[in-house]
Amino acid sequence: MRLILRNLGFYLLAFWASITLNFLLPRFMPGDPVSRMFAQQAGGMQPEQIAQLRKLFGLDDRPLWEQYVSYVKSVFTGDLGISISRFPTPVTEVIGSQIGWTLLLGGTALVVAAVVGNLLGIVAAWRRGGMLDSAFPPLLIFVGSFPYFWLAMGALYLFGVSLGWFPLRHAYDAGLTPGLNAEFVANAGTHLVLPALTVVAVTVGSWMLGMRNTMIATAAEDYITMAEAKGLSPSRIMFRYAARNALLPSVTNFGMGLGFVVGGALLTEVVFAYPGIGFQLLAAVQGLDYPLMQGIFLTITAAVLLANFLVDIVYVRLDPRVRVR
Amino acid sequence: MAPSRIPSRRPRVVLRAVTATAAAALVLSACTGGAGTSGAGDTSGNQLLTIPREDLATFTRNFNPLSPQAAPMTKEAVYEPLVVHSMADAKDTPWLATEWEEAKDGKSLTFTLREGVKWSDGKPLVADDVVYTFELRKKVLGGLEYLDKVTAVDEHTVKFSFNKAFSPGFWEIAGQQIMPKHIWSKVEDPAKFTNPNPVGTGPYTEIEKFQAQSYEVRKNPDYWQPDKQRIAGIQMLAFSGNDSANLAFTNGEVDWTQSFIPDIEKSFVAKDKEHNHYWFPPAGAMINWQLNTTKAPYSDPAVRKALSMAVDRDQITKVAMNGYAEPADCTGLTRTYDKWRDTSLADSCTWTTYDTDAAAKALDAAGYKESGGKRKLKNGKDFTLDISVGSASSDWISAANIIKQNLAKVGITATVKTPDWAAVVSSYEQGTFDTGIVWSNNGATPYEYFRDMMTSGMLKPVGEKATQNYHRYADPKADKLIDAFAAATDESTQREQVNALQKLYDEDAPAVPLFTGPEFGAYTDARFTGWPSEDNPYATLGNRNTSTILVLTSLKPVKS
Repeated sequence: MRLILRNLGFYLLAFWASITLNFLLPRFMPGDPVSRMFAQQAGGMQPEQIAQLRKLFGLDDRPLWEQYVSYVKSVFTGDLGISISRFPTPVTEVIGSQIGWTLLLGGTALVVAAVVGNLLGIVAAWRRGGMLDSAFPPLLIFVGSFPYFWLAMGALYLFGVSLGWFPLRHAYDAGLTPGLNAEFVANAGTHLVLPALTVVAVTVGSWMLGMRNTMIATAAEDYITMAEAKGLSPSRIMFRYAARNALLPSVTNFGMGLGFVVGGALLTEVVFAYPGIGFQLLAAVQGLDYPLMQGIFLTITAAVLLANFLVDIVYVRLDPRVRVR
Repeated sequence: MAPSRIPSRRPRVVLRAVTATAAAALVLSACTGGAGTSGAGDTSGNQLLTIPREDLATFTRNFNPLSPQAAPMTKEAVYEPLVVHSMADAKDTPWLATEWEEAKDGKSLTFTLREGVKWSDGKPLVADDVVYTFELRKKVLGGLEYLDKVTAVDEHTVKFSFNKAFSPGFWEIAGQQIMPKHIWSKVEDPAKFTNPNPVGTGPYTEIEKFQAQSYEVRKNPDYWQPDKQRIAGIQMLAFSGNDSANLAFTNGEVDWTQSFIPDIEKSFVAKDKEHNHYWFPPAGAMINWQLNTTKAPYSDPAVRKALSMAVDRDQITKVAMNGYAEPADCTGLTRTYDKWRDTSLADSCTWTTYDTDAAAKALDAAGYKESGGKRKLKNGKDFTLDISVGSASSDWISAANIIKQNLAKVGITATVKTPDWAAVVSSYEQGTFDTGIVWSNNGATPYEYFRDMMTSGMLKPVGEKATQNYHRYADPKADKLIDAFAAATDESTQREQVNALQKLYDEDAPAVPLFTGPEFGAYTDARFTGWPSEDNPYATLGNRNTSTILVLTSLKPVKS
């Protein structure tokens, strides 16, 4: 319990540091949102409109520290302001309407990659030198070294355009209304396959290798020999004795991965035009939409810290050694 | 540690589990494959005109025409202006107003509204709506400083009184989308109202199936020219970038795009020569290479002209712009302003013709001599300069690189700097840049262009934020000419001022004009016909500008 409290203190400090950075970093970027819009229009806007837009957006001209105080206040009251690039939608609404898709895509990909990768790692380590062990790691490392978006574009072209197996874009077909019915869920499912698959293909290799390496070390422990001597069934030894102990680093990785789900699939979202917040972040940065940028960064930071905190708690439960220290 | 020992046992169970999962995944993917997309190939006569937005990953249900982030089709199909101006043929088409008259002193404008126009809720359009629209616009957005007051003379006549003679105000006023007073007067905060179910006079007003990445705009039941509502409706699709939008387009899933398609002949037209077309009329703004005139040696017009002569505009338009742009001449005017161009001046241009030798001689004459292959500044240092371009504009970056090669031939070392546009624009605004590629103002007449290029009204000292005239050039002669242009009510007087402005531009070279920007646009006529083209240039192929409504009311569905 004391350990958890101590950790909590650390997390609060980290949270403060990150919200302060969130506040400062965008303001170091040159230019302001309205002149940015003006540049994008390249001659399509009248200079008079610039003053009009500044008036409409109510851009902040207060001193930096005043802005900071009101920013910190608004973070804790949950009021993140109004997005400029999606004016007049509140930031919380922009994030709220899109984070679900990001979580669905990132979560599915993470769970599938972790489960498949760990199982492959266990089996590969157990049958060291076997077919699986010699063929898969090099292959998966090879695939894993491709950038997400490259693989995504390849998959899009092969399975989407040439073979026509999967839809090319969006989270569901145009004209459908989201709802919990079979038709919509199936439709959203088919749209999820390709984006999730490309993320899985890139990440599964590191899961497998990580698991395989710890598993090999664990399998050399004396208690494994002991279990064998007792005549326990091989699968029982593999899962209950070896894999269970080798799983700890994977739990950490899973926690970290959970945190990064929120901001991680940006390029995949761009290639498949998936309506998550990754692309929205890119648009916010390009449009110098401070409120939205801050909101998304805040969400990502909070997600990473929260996931790490949860892992800490789970660790205390899983690994008795942590409790002693 | 002892080498790890792995028992050679067969974990059949797990292997089977893994293969089972893989098989299940494959079966699942096979079952769910082949999901259909929007109505590609639909020629029932009720097909929707499908338009992609490559710059919007998701839509917000905001149909407020005063909002700069209004959803697509708000200003193009739901609300209509008094007069439609097309940049393709520079014509004004009467729309909600049937005729207009400018007072002899240039201090007022009177519009006669069309009879029988109804809002999509059935109420008639009246002069009060127009008056209210301008009140609202001034309150929400400000601006329109020259506009003193707007009065409804009778139910179908509106008079705009100015505080000075200002003829360019016509296009700003005539192009404003008119909003219904009976709806908006009840809105508490019109600046932030998202207007989810808009009431407009346009051909397509009914929003249906609104989702984050798609929605439909269906027919206005009370439209004033029902014979022009030939298409059943518009479907908007959101995309996260040019690549995904272009994929949908070359696949035939959308009808009309204005996103940039590289090598369009091969990647798009060749796929279906019969139906796939594009047209890039030179209707865009003048793209300039601006030199910071507050810095030496660019403060010297002779140097500006010499640098301009060193630039190979033909290579820039052919290579950097794929042949889609037209080289500029010494009047500085784009092709849009052909009717204003002083042709005798344009024929005798000297400093916009590519001539390396003449450029070198001119630089010598101005006191910047070459020694050891390097041109020297007056203080003896090497003549070097930076060319700024935003990193997103790949075509302009290659234009800058061509200029760099051109300058090397006259002994000047140029460096092309490509940070993000935000950083570039910020250096333009503050006046801290050396040289850079930049757009210019593109209005209905050359008024806005010359005003922002050469007058002191837009001039800001270095360090103070400028919104135009980044190159910081002003001439009191130009101020007089531009004011005289705005005050003139007849075209022949205006023509005199524009001729004088062109002459001044030719003498002083405030910037180095490069080319007229093209207006991109491509379409497939497999499902709709009646598109604008070089033979019938009634509008540009832009699907988000003032002439879009002309296209929407001209298209016909293909019926088979």
